[in-house]
Amino acid sequence: MKHPNKLTALFFIIFVAAGTVPSPAGWAQQNTPPAGDYIRGVKAWGDNCSRCHNMRDPKEFRDDQWKSIVTHMRVRAGLTGQDARDILVFLQTSN
Amino acid sequence: MSRVKNKNRLSPLVAATLLAMPLGTNAAEDYGSLKAEIEDLRNAVKESSEWKNTDSVVHLAGYGAFGYADQETEDGRFDQVLFAPIFHYQYRELMMLESELEIATGTDGETEVNLEYLTLDLFLNDYMTLVGGKFLSPLGQFRQNLHPSWINKLPSTPAGYGHDGAAPLADVGIQLRGGIPLGKMRTNYALYIANGPELAAEGGEIHAIESEGFTRDEDGDKVAGGRLGFLPVPKLEIGLSAATGNVAVTESTPPLPASGDPVRDYDVLGADLAFKAGNLDFRGEYIRQEVAAAAASVAAEAAEWTAWYAQAAYQFTPNKLELVARYSDFDSPHADEDQEQWAVGVNYLFASNVIAKIAYEWNDGLEGEATDQNQALFQLAYGF
Repeated sequence: MKHPNKLTALFFIIFVAAGTVPSPAGWAQQNTPPAGDYIRGVKAWGDNCSRCHNMRDPKEFRDDQWKSIVTHMRVRAGLTGQDARDILVFLQTSN
Repeated sequence: MSRVKNKNRLSPLVAATLLAMPLGTNAAEDYGSLKAEIEDLRNAVKESSEWKNTDSVVHLAGYGAFGYADQETEDGRFDQVLFAPIFHYQYRELMMLESELEIATGTDGETEVNLEYLTLDLFLNDYMTLVGGKFLSPLGQFRQNLHPSWINKLPSTPAGYGHDGAAPLADVGIQLRGGIPLGKMRTNYALYIANGPELAAEGGEIHAIESEGFTRDEDGDKVAGGRLGFLPVPKLEIGLSAATGNVAVTESTPPLPASGDPVRDYDVLGADLAFKAGNLDFRGEYIRQEVAAAAASVAAEAAEWTAWYAQAAYQFTPNKLELVARYSDFDSPHADEDQEQWAVGVNYLFASNVIAKIAYEWNDGLEGEATDQNQALFQLAYGF
């Protein structure tokens, strides 16, 4: 009986706090996230992807397919939104 | 705008062409035909590019595998046929629905279908995503990141990392997860609250801890926990996992009394490490689940499940052949489930996502049990 109320409350406090975390500067005004960067994407791709699985060739997928694959990996690998956008630009440019 | 301008430029050209034609030709028909062709071309150009930039994206990913196993005291058999489609539905950089099914042929020929996970991922900001639904356990690395057969470097899971093992498999609830850069160090996190696992009892003892993910919560208490990952340098990740809550026996032989079984404390502790240097890949994990004693329970004693493994793999340039070695150890409340295992394997990478694996396991368990059977394994896996 000691766990549910405290833990649930703690989690929702974190959730509410999460809503107050600001997005990157300018995002709100533009209503669109900052663009990805190719050079940063090359590095982020090299640093992160092979830690769990073999590297996939950028040419394996179309631009639209990479979009959802990278979003999936953002959640799975704990990437930041900017990391994901950088990697996406690299993959879409290299396929 | 450019299309409109082009249209205005083309019209006089077409008109001049028509004027220059002999009066005997059907000028009006030619003009109409040419105009229709231009319109078709304009639509084709528009359609060929619009799908690339839609707000909604649908993508089918996944993996499949078949395998063969030959144990010491049994005839070899093709023991695995697996299809695991993964569906991605994404709306802008706001929401993703992702789901994996596991469709496999059972030993009796029946097709088994399981929902491995289904989550709605709401991207709150660059550093935080709310994940709700049934998710793979975020405790440790193997279940959430390494279990797909095209990623796992051996045909089998480490001892204690399968069903009824020491590592929780999945849960139903919500998570907050994401990544945060701390100076030059990267970190990632996953915090969750969920219904938690259940216990099965048999003959007055806890028989198993079941963590496939339930939409019921028989004990009425939630389990909360998570994992923190630290990357002090690229390609080195150190993770710490923990969870706490309550669980209860929900299945029992003999049956539970009508009043049910009392709740008891449940705790999980884990650590994992992954390191890659050139073509060498090293990883290891430790996980322990424990439940406290409950005097009024049909299975009063405490129980503990512990597993760990260490694995090293080396890919030979140009990355076609790969050697793998893994040690794993699983301790449970029952001696017939305990297992110590050495596994070595050779993989051939037809492509980075098409892998043939041959492996041999030396298993040390209770004599006469399946956990004590050495076996040779083959698997062909394809990730798409």
